[in-house]
Amino acid sequence: MSTSTNSSMPQRAGKIAVIVLAAVLAVIGAILLGGGAYLIILGGSWYYALAGIALIASGVLLFRFSVVAVAVYTALWLATLFWTLWEVQFDWWAWVPRMVAPSVLLILVLLCLPAITTRRPAARSV
Amino acid sequence: MSIRPTLLLGAAAMALVPLAAIAQSDTPTGGSTNQSPLSQTPLAEDSTGDETAGASPVTQAQELPQVGADWPFWGGDAQATRYSPLDQITPENVGQLERAYVYHTGDMPEGTAEGKYSPEITPLKVGDDILTCSAMNMLISFDAATGEENWRYDPGVPNDAIPYGATCRGVAVWTDPEASEGDTCATRLIEATLDAKIISLDAATGVPCEDFGENGTIDLWQDLGERVPGWYAVTAPPTIVRGVIVTGAQVKDGQAEDAPSGVIRGFDARTGELAWAWDMGAPEQNRDGPPEGEVYTRGTPNMWTTAVADEELGYVYLPMGNSSVDYYGSNRSEAENEFSTALVAIDATTGEVAWNFQTVYRDVWDYDLGSQPTLVDFPQDGDTVPAIILPSKQGDIYVLDRETGESLHPVEENPVPTRGEIEPEYISPTQPASSYHQIRFEPLQERDMYGMSPIDQMFCRIAFRRANYEGFFQPPTADAPFIQYPGYNGGSDWGSVAVDTDRGIIVANYNNIPNYNRMIPQEETDWPIITDGGASGEGAGGNAPQEGAPWSIRINAGWRAPFTGMPCTQPPYGGIRAIDLETGETIWDRPLGTARRNGPFGVPSRLPLTIGTPNNGGSVVTAGGLIFIAAATDNLIRAIDIETGETLWQDVLPAGGQANPLAFEADGRQFIMIAPGGHHFMGTGVSDAIIAYALPE
Repeated sequence: MSTSTNSSMPQRAGKIAVIVLAAVLAVIGAILLGGGAYLIILGGSWYYALAGIALIASGVLLFRFSVVAVAVYTALWLATLFWTLWEVQFDWWAWVPRMVAPSVLLILVLLCLPAITTRRPAARSV
Repeated sequence: MSIRPTLLLGAAAMALVPLAAIAQSDTPTGGSTNQSPLSQTPLAEDSTGDETAGASPVTQAQELPQVGADWPFWGGDAQATRYSPLDQITPENVGQLERAYVYHTGDMPEGTAEGKYSPEITPLKVGDDILTCSAMNMLISFDAATGEENWRYDPGVPNDAIPYGATCRGVAVWTDPEASEGDTCATRLIEATLDAKIISLDAATGVPCEDFGENGTIDLWQDLGERVPGWYAVTAPPTIVRGVIVTGAQVKDGQAEDAPSGVIRGFDARTGELAWAWDMGAPEQNRDGPPEGEVYTRGTPNMWTTAVADEELGYVYLPMGNSSVDYYGSNRSEAENEFSTALVAIDATTGEVAWNFQTVYRDVWDYDLGSQPTLVDFPQDGDTVPAIILPSKQGDIYVLDRETGESLHPVEENPVPTRGEIEPEYISPTQPASSYHQIRFEPLQERDMYGMSPIDQMFCRIAFRRANYEGFFQPPTADAPFIQYPGYNGGSDWGSVAVDTDRGIIVANYNNIPNYNRMIPQEETDWPIITDGGASGEGAGGNAPQEGAPWSIRINAGWRAPFTGMPCTQPPYGGIRAIDLETGETIWDRPLGTARRNGPFGVPSRLPLTIGTPNNGGSVVTAGGLIFIAAATDNLIRAIDIETGETLWQDVLPAGGQANPLAFEADGRQFIMIAPGGHHFMGTGVSDAIIAYALPE
């Protein structure tokens, strides 16, 4: 892809998509943090609250068009992978709720890379 | 000292048992010889022989039809093995199996019956004919080779008679030993209906047998008290033993303590006269029916499923359910505590209890015995013992001596995790378990929670942590929800097990699903009990008012998450396994059912992956080495290699195959038949089709 400096239609669409994805990550993160905190109080898994914090962080960073968002989310995805391995080993059906949706989000986050790297200054204004 | 010699002497003296039966009984005994204190003398002291002299009741053992070309009993043969000796269809050629014909009963839901159909039908095949009922109890005969209709009879069952669902699992056939071939009603088709009647028709013509009851019908509401449509309905085929038609009924679950009696009644197969009644609340007083102005003891445990009988021994084995108030027991009678969720052997010549074997002590989980037991000659110490195989909803498979009720294997007595707070005095401190075979999984943990994403999985984890759950036999609670695992759908339910008696293999399909329930104080609920007849759609799920008990209960059957409708626990939700009959060891085990019709928000995923779905309905096993089973929510019928568990053939059904298939031969061709009627609660559609499969001609 060319990195033209003109604000073309595809670039605007890319920016909108990044902002929408940032919002989605933040909302999911807030739900997981809230529910996950309650789950911790009930004596349950810490994964959901911690994942919620990481999702909120990557959402905020993505909103600022920061490349760090991709790093944070990728780290969360890797952590989720190891947590899944630890919790259910190779029981493949048990991987579905743990890995499918986070992996879809990983692809979307990675797809944001071109849009983030072309227009970094835009992030400053927020 | 065994009790068998006594039995033999008694039987021989009465000259009621043919020589073959004596030879069969004359085997070395296994296990304990002590009779259970609960048992009574198997044979009545006073001779019933007098009654046989010229009188109508048949008290002698009859020669019974054999399974093979015919499928003369709901369970295939009189032993309910669901095993067919036919071997034309084999693992090598089953791939060519195709539909030979499809018969339509024409019985589809109309008006208020909409959304209440769960036909669960298994037809019979006798001579040249298929004999069957429909969901609303129409009786039909059609040609077994072509599907061409011979006759039909509509008893006009009203929609308000539908209890939990419009169900007719099957019918029975009885041949009068004194009638000559060709006489009207020499062979009779007998059905018990949703509106609580027993109907007897001439199997050849469909004409009512006039000498039976009133014009071929008897009314089971008699002596039950107030008639509330849908509260007392028969969905199972009756069992006929020594010329006595034995039936219980489905009494509406969870409504009120003051419900119709669970009385078991035996009727003369020829005249329809009451032969005996077994009312556990007043067995002596009500043996010949209650005194004038009284009714059978109300609210007692019922038998909604199918019994099996040993014609030679003269015993009928009743898989009993629970009291009408399922989840609270402190106000139950001693008799209810003794016989609920127990297998009860009744001497069909007298109506007296021979023995009972209880699978749950003080059942507050609705763990009704749902399966029809199977009679086998059980291999032990190089010989065989006449035994009965009893599967339970908790997943235990017991093997009992069918004369004494003694288990052939040690019965475990396991302490329960807790006796709870609702009625700790009532809850039994221990529960039995089979050391022969258990279809049971590890207790649930938080990590077993499921969902389509981490979000709904988290909500299920929260629900898990909020609930009271200390493991198997967690008693009901009110301060928070409680988890019942396995739930009331099994383990094994009405589909029952099949037994390949040649290879010595039990084939058992099962569910692996919890329920998520909560007790609610009676005064906080204003749930109406259902008195306008019929199903509200709630049935055994949803809310149960339990009027008369201090607690109502909210039931989440299958523990489905709100919003997505997905189960909160991970798959498999059901499976099928082959068990070595002699040792009780698992030969193979696999999930049953694909994900093709399941998915979040009720949207079919179309995935051909075998996930293991909830399933209801059993299998038929053929000598050709194949298991035919549908049962799962994927609406497929499949042929499974009994040696390996591998699926070799399958076909898409027009609705769910929640029905047991059958095998028979007509015009030299082996057929596999199934009535895929669908099931309202399992969401598998509805159909009036009865499909016959065969190899190409």
